[in-house]
This record gives sequence, structure tokens and C-alpha cells, in this order.
Amino acid sequence: MTENIPTNGFSRRRFLELGFGAAAASALSACGGGKSAEDVAGGGTTSDKKFTGEYDGPKVTLSYWNGFTGGDGPFMDQLVKDFMTENPKIAVKQNTVEWAQYYQRMPAAVTAGKGPDVGVMHMDQLATNAVRKIIVPLDDLTESIGLTEDDFTPEVWNAGIFQDARYGLPLDVHSLGMYYNEDQFSQAGVEEAPTDEESLMAALDKLQEVNPQPFWMPSRWPAHLMFLSLLWQNGGEPYDAENSKATFDSDAGVQALTWMTEVISKGYSPKNVAQDSQYVAFKNSKVSVTWDGIWQINDLKAAKLPFALAPVPQIGSTSAVWANSHNFYLTKQAAEDDNKLQAAKVFIDWIIKKSADWAGAGMVPAAKSVRESSGVQDTTQAPIAAQIEAMKFLPPVPGLGDVTAQTFEIAVADAILGKRSPAEALKDAAGKGSQLMEANKQKFGA
Amino acid sequence: MATSAPGRPAAGDATRVDEEALGLGDTSREPTSRTRGDTRAAYLFLGPYLVLFIAFVIAPAVYGFWISLHDYDYTLPGKPWVGLNNYQKLIDSDSVTFENFWNSMKATAIFTLASVPLLLVLPLLVALIMNARFRGRNFFRAVYFAPYVLGVAVVAVLWRFLLDANIGLINQYAGAIGLPDDTAWLTDTPAAWVGLVGVTVWWTLGFNAVIYLAGLQDISVELYEAAKVDGANRWQSFWNVTMPGLRPVLAFVTMVTIIASANMFGQSYLMTKGAPGTETRTAIYYIADTGLRNFQMGDAAAMSYVLTLLLMLLSVGVFWLFRERNE
Amino acid sequence: MATSAPPRTTQPAAAPPPALESRNRAVPTALRYLGLTVLGLIFLSPLLFMLVTSFKSRVEAAGVPPTWVPEDPTVQAYDSVINSSGTPVLQWFANSMISAGANAALVVTTAALAAYPLARMSFPGKRIVFSLIVATLFVPPVILIIPNYLIVGELKWLDTLVAVIVPTAASAFGVFFLRQFFLSLPRELEEAAVLDGANRWQVFFRVILPLSKPALVTLAVLAFLTNWNDFLWPVYVLFSPEAQTLPAGLSTLQSANNVRYDLLMAGAVIASLPVLILYVFAQRFIIEGVSRSGLKG
Repeated sequence: MTENIPTNGFSRRRFLELGFGAAAASALSACGGGKSAEDVAGGGTTSDKKFTGEYDGPKVTLSYWNGFTGGDGPFMDQLVKDFMTENPKIAVKQNTVEWAQYYQRMPAAVTAGKGPDVGVMHMDQLATNAVRKIIVPLDDLTESIGLTEDDFTPEVWNAGIFQDARYGLPLDVHSLGMYYNEDQFSQAGVEEAPTDEESLMAALDKLQEVNPQPFWMPSRWPAHLMFLSLLWQNGGEPYDAENSKATFDSDAGVQALTWMTEVISKGYSPKNVAQDSQYVAFKNSKVSVTWDGIWQINDLKAAKLPFALAPVPQIGSTSAVWANSHNFYLTKQAAEDDNKLQAAKVFIDWIIKKSADWAGAGMVPAAKSVRESSGVQDTTQAPIAAQIEAMKFLPPVPGLGDVTAQTFEIAVADAILGKRSPAEALKDAAGKGSQLMEANKQKFGA
Repeated sequence: MATSAPGRPAAGDATRVDEEALGLGDTSREPTSRTRGDTRAAYLFLGPYLVLFIAFVIAPAVYGFWISLHDYDYTLPGKPWVGLNNYQKLIDSDSVTFENFWNSMKATAIFTLASVPLLLVLPLLVALIMNARFRGRNFFRAVYFAPYVLGVAVVAVLWRFLLDANIGLINQYAGAIGLPDDTAWLTDTPAAWVGLVGVTVWWTLGFNAVIYLAGLQDISVELYEAAKVDGANRWQSFWNVTMPGLRPVLAFVTMVTIIASANMFGQSYLMTKGAPGTETRTAIYYIADTGLRNFQMGDAAAMSYVLTLLLMLLSVGVFWLFRERNE
Repeated sequence: MATSAPPRTTQPAAAPPPALESRNRAVPTALRYLGLTVLGLIFLSPLLFMLVTSFKSRVEAAGVPPTWVPEDPTVQAYDSVINSSGTPVLQWFANSMISAGANAALVVTTAALAAYPLARMSFPGKRIVFSLIVATLFVPPVILIIPNYLIVGELKWLDTLVAVIVPTAASAFGVFFLRQFFLSLPRELEEAAVLDGANRWQVFFRVILPLSKPALVTLAVLAFLTNWNDFLWPVYVLFSPEAQTLPAGLSTLQSANNVRYDLLMAGAVIASLPVLILYVFAQRFIIEGVSRSGLKG
């Protein structure tokens, strides 16, 4: 896991190598496809044409939205460019909007008829947008591409299904990981990436000689993702199985949050770490260890930092880490125009088959067959990819993202900023959360 | 008084006009006789404005009230009627909305109370200095106004970087001159309020100063000379000549500043994200999030009506404060 | 100001009154310049920092502690910002110019037309119309956001500049402001024109408007700046990258966890420089406009 990081970002050659592996993999999977596109219940994605993986209609322009504003952006740009070269009849107009704005804009834009035909969204947002009928079922496409459950972990596969229809096709999975500064590790005499609480604390103690405060505890993003990971590790769940009650204030949750605040009280982190500071500090070697999303890989490579990536250590009793997945969707806007619909399907199919290229963006391909291809094995995130079984996802429930944002995200921030005790902050937030979940159930009838 | 044209109606001051509008004042100042042609012409003149006014002010104000009586999510097919329920939630201390809304109102109140006095006094000082003739005056005027043209997106991001508790320049310099170097300007109150208010002052000071400057330049020279003859010192002439002369401008600046402060959104949204917790999430921020992000438009509309009501009460208060006191 | 109002001087307002001049002479020049310079530095240094950062490399721009002199000055950030299809800063600039310009023109035109009959004509419904307009002076814009969003959606204006130009153009302030100004104009000229056989329209265009230039300019400038700086509304009604105005567009340059300070600052410099330059040249006119217009009631 301590591979040498190429200092000049990704090279064109490497890009091609990855792509080659993917092409081979996709050629295999493409053989299984070609079934007739069946009319799927609801949604109106009905189409009389067979899906062949090729588009033979008139020239069409697809509006394609995603939120790849970071180090992942150039890889998607390249994929889109390549796609257009291979499919001259389909022009893809990309709109890249920062994710937070994306989820506000996308439904509004689709409702106004000015939104995407096809796009990428996080798995935990699918249900919300499905119940709003912003996005449409994709079951026929899934079948025709030949994607099957056994190529994915059940969690990833099932989270795309809402009310018996599939709304999202997983492109990748991405989780939190532990980034560390290799130079500082060797300077401090830490030989290996810590894997559990004991080794992490031992490493932090040693690292304090190099960086008095080696592990800054963020108060905002990704603090709530760290909390979720630890909650799951302690055997807790944020929400109950019926999705009507917030349970993140369980002992498991309080323990998780207490552990996070102790990183500060034990002196490994300063107080009041503002949004992004821990990350900027890591880039500037003011921090030796930081937990962040694996999609930061390219940004860190560009910062010419001697870093490596390891799985988040197991602090609790089981191994678990927060993860999410980028999923393709089609909108009702595309469903109204048969040509666009066909073209969008061709586009999704094409990109998913190239998901090994997408690994260059720091992501882990969702499909096992691609993940195990040699190209992915060599990437920085390979140690994370190996941990896919430990990845935990938030359930597909409409409105849940908003509940998260309004409840434990704020509780975590409050506790880390020392405003309230972890137990108190979580209990209060859970009370609110349960109320919001009940209201959502009523509103969305889910 | 010397130059004021005879027969010219008193250039009705704001209060007077307001009273007239509210039916309190005397409207019989129009000597012109009414003609049929005049009525037609009047409405032709008014036409373009009224179209916009009805379409984008009156209609939405009514429509908004209608929305506030529903559980209104425009992406969902059903928009059930809930009567006054959305308003009830705002006064029912058990609801989630209650706490969030009143917290955000509190944030708006804190911001307004802290920023308005500063934005009234500091620009006045700057304007007083700038009102003299000296070399480089235009340059300095431009300097103080410069931040205003940046727009909130740039201002907020720039300052977010400068104010960062652990890596920002401000704390670095504070430390260098022996002040605490770990103030959490973005993540702890009251420091975050100092940060937000300070940035807002830096950003909009120039705008208010320009308005003041205009008012100052319009105060007659003779009045100062008269005050001097009466033996007034500079302080006295400031209170007895400058301030009364500035009264209408002051009323205007006060109103505009209060409304702008009460509508604060971008600074919190971009600099603190409401941190710590939701303490710096302002009412507008919360309303926009509720209505345009979560599409709970009924709730958001009800909240905006409550906020509007309070602001209108405040405006009436301000107007009363600045009313013409007839000697 | 009914009784204690100072007279409106007829001399150009930009020339500072000699009385002030003499009052201020008491302040030692050196002290004044020192104060002005210190204050000026406080005001300018963040801007300078912005300028400096825009010439840094991506790595140095996010460096801690930040530097005041770029180690290796580069125009890379400008290059990326201008040439990336996802962040068409020049397009945003053009959009902002069009939006603010069109909005200002619309505000001034409609408000001037509406203010005239309210100031000078007598007609049924005048009180109701004027009361309504004045009442909305105090209505904060927030109340209109949600319904206007839906109305603009119905009109199919979302994601077009029309959405940021038209709905905010019904300026109650503009009407009020210009009505006050028109009321302050001497009636003699109008009466003379009427004697010469001019009708209402001719009076308005030939007498009132030319006399009202400062007020019109002031209103235009205020409307322009308000629209130029508007953030909340464009963020919600504009979707595609090429439709953004500057504030909304620039805010998309910072992503959740990955602020590209170099790009952001380069974008900001491109965005603000033209307006700053414009302001340096126009400020005198603006101050004059404000001072000679009806603001003082």
C-alpha cells in the first residue's frame, strides 16, 4: 500500500493501459447483453427499439450532469470526449456542478425542462429523486447491458432499487480512507499504516514529535462520515430498519462521537477546525494523518505530497467504513424523447464499460470483474478496493439525505466544537431526526 | 430657503409621503384639474410598471400566502391543504421547524443588531473625511468602494481563506503582534459573528459612504457659515448643521442597511455554512434551504410571511424615528 | 423637509463647499494621509492578496502559510479559468453585464414613466396605486422568492437571463425615488411647455426627463449594482454553466472539499477589474447624481 506516487498526476500512457484492461473486460460483459428492452412498470422509459449498444437515430445532443468538480473531473472529461469520438451522432453536453448545489438544482432544472437527460448522482439520493419522479426506472437497460447482481456486492446492488424498480446503475463505489504522510511516518519511525485503535494511537504518539498535532478532527465535512464509519464499527445503525426512527444516539453512536472528541482533548488535534482546514493542512504537511474520501487522490498527487492511502482503522468491534456510490440515472426529460433515451442508454452503457478508466479518478469500480482487473489493482486506492465488503451505505429512503444534514451532521459539529457533550447533541438530533422521518414517510408515502 | 422656487410643493420628505400613502396625510396638494385625457394618459404612463408590479410583486405576494396554506412540494403531484398548520408549526415549540426557524431568526437579529450601527457610523466617518478637497481624494474614494464591486461570492471565499482559525493569515498576524492566534473566526460564536460582521462592513462600507457623501455635498455652505457666526464649534456645527441636513439621507441609509442586513444570506452560506452548528444560519438561509433545496415550499412561504411581518413592523418603527418633527 | 430644509444649491454639487475646506484645514495634512493610508491598506490588502494569489501555482495558492509574493508567478490559473468550458468566466462576466444593464434600463424606464403621473397628474385610483407601491417598499424580497420562483418556472424563464432581469425590475424604490425628484422640479418650465401646446408626453420627454438626468443616473447605478451583486436569486434560477452570472458562477468554483484558490482568485480578478476601473472613472458622476437627486426627499 505504500506504492510510489507518480508526481505528475496521471500520464496518458497509464490512462491507456487502464482503458485497455477495461475494454477487455467490457467486451466480455457486452456479450451477455442484447436482450430486448422490455417495457418496465411506471416511469415511461418504454421504447420500441431494441438496445444494441449502438445508436442509429438522427443526431442528438445529450445533456449530462455530474458533480465531478475535483480531481475526478478531468477523467470524466476525457471519457466524454472519447465517447463522442466513437459515437459521432451523439453530442454530450456536460454540466459539472458542485454536488451540494447539484442536488438543489437538478430536480428544479428537470421540472423546468432544462435539466439533464442523463446524469450521475450518489446512491443515497436516488430514492428521493425517484419518489419525486425526477428520474425514471432503468430495469430494461440493466438487463440489456447485462449487468447482474453477482458482479456487485449486495449492498451496492440493492441500494439502486426503490419500490421494486431500479433507478441507478452503479459506476463506482467510494469510501473514506486514511491518508498519511509517508515522509513523516518514516521520520517518526512508524513502519506500517495503523489498522486498529491501538496502532493508531501509538502512531499518533510517535508522530507528535514531527507534528505536535498530527490528526486534525474536522467539525464539518467529512466529520459526519467519520462518525458514521465509527458508529457502524461499534455495531450501531443511524436509522432503524423501518426508517421511521433515528437511532444514531445509541451507545454505539455516543461512543463513536466521544472517540472523535477525545482526539482533540488528548491533544492530537487543535480545536475549531473549520471546513476544509484539516485537508489543506494535510496538503501542507501540517497534518500527518487525515481521513477523507478516496476521490482526493488526484488532488493530493497534484500537490506533490509524499502520501499513501490505507483503509480507515478499525476502532470499534467490527470493520466498517462509510461508502457511497456514483450511479447513472435517466430523467423523465430524456424519457419523453425516444432518440434521447436511446442515446442516453448507449452513453451509460459505454461509460460503465470503461469504469476501469474511471478508476484513474480515484474511485473503485463497482463491478467486481472490473475491480479485479490488473489496471485497478495497481492504483493508489487498491487497498481500499480490497475492503469493499466492509463498506456500508446509507439506506435508499426518500428525504433521508436532508435528515442527515439537519440532524447528526450538526450534532457531530456541535460536539467537536465543544458546544455540547456528544450524548446530549446526539440525543437532541435523534429526536428531531425521528420527527423528520415520520414527516417524510407521510409526505413521500414511502 | 432662498433658492426654493415659489409655488413649488414642499419636496415632500419620506415620512410625509408615507403618511399620505397610508391615508394619514393631506393629498389635496394637486391644483391641476382632473380631465378624462389625464386619466388615460396616467394609466398609459403607469402601464409598463404596473404590469411588472402586478406580475412579480402583487401576484407572488398573494400566491405566496396561498402556498403557505399547503404542504407544497412542487415536484410532488399532491399538494395537500393544511390550513394554518405551517404557521402553527412556527409557534409550536415541539416541532422541528420551530427551533430551526427561531434560531435562524435569532441569527438574523444578532447580525442586524451588530452590523447596522457599524454600517451607519463608519461610512459616515469615511464620508466626512472624503468630503474635503485633497490630493488623491478620488483614489481613496475608489479604494473604499472597491470591495463592493466584488460580489459576495468572491468576498466570502477570500475571507474564508484569510479567517481560517488554523491556517489563515489573520490569526497568523494576530499571533505575530502578540494577540491570541487561535480565534475560531468561522466556527465559534461570538468570533464568527465578528468575522461575518467585519467582512460585511469591509464589503459594503463604501456603498453607504457614497450615499452619505452625496448628502454631505448638498448641505449648504451658508448654513455652516451661519453656525460659525453664531460661535458654534465644529462639534456643534456637526450636530446642528450636518446631522439635520443629513436626516433624509440617514433615513434612507438606515432603511437600506436594515433590509440588507436582515436579508443576509451569502456570507453565512459561503463562509460559515451556518457553523457552529446552525448558529450563524440566518433566516433567509434557512428559508431558502427549506423552500428551494428541500422543496418544502409551504413551510418556507409561511416563514417568509412571519419574517416579513416583523420587518415591516421594524420599518414602521424606523420611519417613526426619522419622522419630521414640526417645530 | 418642510421647515428646516436647507435650500438646494444651484452650484454643481461636486465642488466641495469652501466652508468645509476651511474646517478641514485644521486637520494636519500628514495625519490625514496617515489615517487614510492605514485604512486604505486595510481595505486594499485583501484585494492585493487576491491579485497575488491569482498568479500562484495551484499548490502554492493553497500553501500554508500563504505567501505575499508568488514564488513562481504563472498565468496558469487565468488560462484554465478562461479556457475551461465548465467555467466560462468571460461568459459570466458578459451575462452579469447584460443582466445588470438590462435590469437597470428596465427599472429606470418603467419607474420614470410611473413616477410622472404620480407626481404631476390627478386621476382616479392614484392613491391606491401609490399606497400599494409605497407599502411594498418595506416588503423584504424574501417573501417573493418562493412564489416568484414558481412563476418564473411557469413562464419558462428558468435558466435564462430573463429570470434575473425582469422579476426584480418592478422597483418600488425607483418609483418612489423618482416621484420625489419630479415633485422637486419647478413647475414653471412645464407650464411654459403646456402653454406652447405640449401634451403630457411631450412635457415628460422634453422637460421632465432632461431635468432629471442625475436622478435617473443614480437610480440606474443603484439598480445596476444591486443586480450585479445579487447572489441568492441567480443561484437558484440559473442552472447551466453558460447561463450563470458572476457571483453565482464563481461560487461554483469552490467544491465541497476542494477549493481551487488559484482559479477562484483569477476568476475574481477578471470579474472585478473592469468594474473597478469603471468605478474609478465614474464615481464622481455617481456621487453627483446621488447628491443632486431626490434622495434627500
